[in-house]
Amino acid sequence: MIELNHVSKSYNKGKVKAVDDLTLTIKPGEIFGFLGPNGAGKTTTIKMIVGLLKPDAGTISVNGLDTQKDALRCKEITTYVPDYPSIYERLTGLEYLNFIGDVYGVPKTERLARIQKWLEVFELSQAVASPIQSYSHGMKQKIVLTAALLPAPRVMVLDEPMVGLDPRAAHHMKELMREHCDQGKTLFFSTHIMEVAEKLCDRIGIINKGKLIACGTMDELKKIDTEAGQSLENIFLELTDK
Amino acid sequence: MKRLLTLIRVGLKANFGLSVIYHRLFKEKKDRWLVPLFIVALLGILPAFYGILLLIKNLYLILLPLGQERAILTFAVLTGQLLILLFGLYYVISAFYFSKDLEMLIPLPLKPFEVMLSKFTVIVVNEYLTVMAIVLPVVVYFGILAKAGPAYWINAVLVYLFLPVIPLAIVSLLVVGMMRLINFSRKKDALILIGSIVLIMIGLGFQFFINGSPGSKHNIEAMSNFFASPDSLLNQIGAKFPPSIWATKALAGRFTGSGLFNLLLFVGVSLILFYGILVMSEKLFYRGLIGIGEISGRRKTLSEKEMSRKVSSGRRPVKAIFTREWRIMNRTPIFLLNGVLVVVIIPVIFVLMAKTGSGRGGNAFILKILASAKPLYKILITAAFLIICGSLNGTASSTFSREGGQFWMSKVIPATTREQVTAKFFHSYIISLMGITTASVVAALSLNLGAGALAAAIGLALVLALALTAVGMIIDLARPLLDWTNPQKAIKQNLNVLMAIIADIGILTILFFIIKLLINAGLVGNAIILVLFALLAAFSYGSCYLLLKFAKRRYREIEV
Repeated sequence: MIELNHVSKSYNKGKVKAVDDLTLTIKPGEIFGFLGPNGAGKTTTIKMIVGLLKPDAGTISVNGLDTQKDALRCKEITTYVPDYPSIYERLTGLEYLNFIGDVYGVPKTERLARIQKWLEVFELSQAVASPIQSYSHGMKQKIVLTAALLPAPRVMVLDEPMVGLDPRAAHHMKELMREHCDQGKTLFFSTHIMEVAEKLCDRIGIINKGKLIACGTMDELKKIDTEAGQSLENIFLELTDK
Repeated sequence: MKRLLTLIRVGLKANFGLSVIYHRLFKEKKDRWLVPLFIVALLGILPAFYGILLLIKNLYLILLPLGQERAILTFAVLTGQLLILLFGLYYVISAFYFSKDLEMLIPLPLKPFEVMLSKFTVIVVNEYLTVMAIVLPVVVYFGILAKAGPAYWINAVLVYLFLPVIPLAIVSLLVVGMMRLINFSRKKDALILIGSIVLIMIGLGFQFFINGSPGSKHNIEAMSNFFASPDSLLNQIGAKFPPSIWATKALAGRFTGSGLFNLLLFVGVSLILFYGILVMSEKLFYRGLIGIGEISGRRKTLSEKEMSRKVSSGRRPVKAIFTREWRIMNRTPIFLLNGVLVVVIIPVIFVLMAKTGSGRGGNAFILKILASAKPLYKILITAAFLIICGSLNGTASSTFSREGGQFWMSKVIPATTREQVTAKFFHSYIISLMGITTASVVAALSLNLGAGALAAAIGLALVLALALTAVGMIIDLARPLLDWTNPQKAIKQNLNVLMAIIADIGILTILFFIIKLLINAGLVGNAIILVLFALLAAFSYGSCYLLLKFAKRRYREIEV
């Protein structure tokens, strides 16, 4: 479970409000999609959840643990995939996965089984012994996803995880997201792909200019603006145009 | 031309981070605290600067009655140019072939020579700053002492402007040629490393060659010939790198026939070599550049057995982070050249210089003094040599900066700050240990120390290295450079590395005064060593404690 309580974050000494008094709860077993135009505050929110940024005000907790006070315990149960796969290019894929397995303390048997499973799913088995430097953008994205799945975390936070994935990998990704949450775990992700959000998410939040302007299930969103039509795209365009 | 100027302007802005500095100082006002710190650092090096001026004046006054004072200019210009020749290699390789902006520049409608020229200009400007500390004080103070007129100053400006061109052009031509060949191969990283080592060895060999210049004729005739001409000493110093002689003669000759001729020669050869770069860049630059970043990893599915063997059975976080640091450092050519290679090469340079300096004063003279010095001084000087060799690398002071855009991982992994910093500390300390070990071997072979004295010196250096490693890491942690696009910036052009060197010099100076106090207090040799050892141990403990405390705070504060 992720809880954001009156969270704010600004840049340039308060001149630019990136996130403004955001309150949000993501329940266990839920896939939560976070939508918003460019610069709306999605990545800032995500970075605050995983501890890359410190909120100016408010609190964030993961499974009841405060991300500032219990940072280490939060990190033990959370994994994160950034919007751009900036990873250790001079390591091989397997060395990188071993590093993640080591710091998250994944035992050898589970580690071996999970690595083999995800490499198979993402079609990375042939590349895993090569330096990450030699990977394409999509392959880098896949190895980061594999690393994020390796510790079998309680909470996954993904920033635009579909970018760079080929259709097959994107399909597998959606399946594994569902699988993850069916085990009672939590998944929070941002996306610009309305179709994915509409079909996959249990609930959707729309952020604009740092403020949460809508949040709920697809049916709930449709009721907010009946004139907007039935598709998430129309609702999104209508709400963020105001 | 306009396009080229724009490219150069953007290159300079990006290289020096001018826009970022402006934004941080005047918009975000984040880095204002650095301004007083910078002023304090500048004030701190003023005594050293005064010492240099005093040295120049004394040398001038010694050489003036002999009519050889111009040799000071040759010495300064030659040193500056040799430094550029040696260190320019790093700049050229990384700027021409490893800047991330090249990926953006190649598809633009620019000619190869324009791209290369903009990079070359950025390096030239960098080199103006690098050699400023060596060349400017000498040229300016010489002009003041000689009461030189406008002609000297005009020539001085021209000489300074063209100073880096010849050595940098030579390095560029070699590097562009080398990269063209390397790009044929699949093992590019290894070849870049080997190529760089070969070029450094050529540079050192050149140094050897210069120092081994003639000077053995000690008969009266030769001596009288020597003093008959004001150019004898400068000709001898600059014999193997004539541009430094031309520069000196251009400065000393001012607007006379000889002055103008040498100026013309200096500028002319610079321009010819510069033209050579332009021609070569059109033909070879892109052919060497395009595809250099492509790493053809072997695509091979690991068998069940191989996979099981290669999947780690679980290291502790400290070991895992240490392994990551070790691998990334050793697999990034620029990092490796500046870390491991530097600590191994510095003592070797010392040996080369000591060997070649024999018979003509210099290092051999220092060695002779050392041999006849008191045991205490022998130990202290050796310890200073070991610690300089062990610590003059940027490993500790770039340890956080080197993570660059990947620092986000250090923030999200469930490893405590203590574990992360401990792993990084071990890594940096091991590089220092390598330097101390190589230097110890050199010291054992060339300094005629007893085993006890050498052990004491090693002991002191090992303890002090703990403190200097921690200090370097603290400096880098205060303001890590994480937004670099070119690995060179993380280590070679990182202000933190320079600040750490200044801090190390400051610490060594304070230690010098403490030792002086102890000697004046009448303590005997062994007692001084013991007191010093205890002091250094306490200092190291304090530094490490401070590092851990500071890291805990900074890891929370640094936002990525």
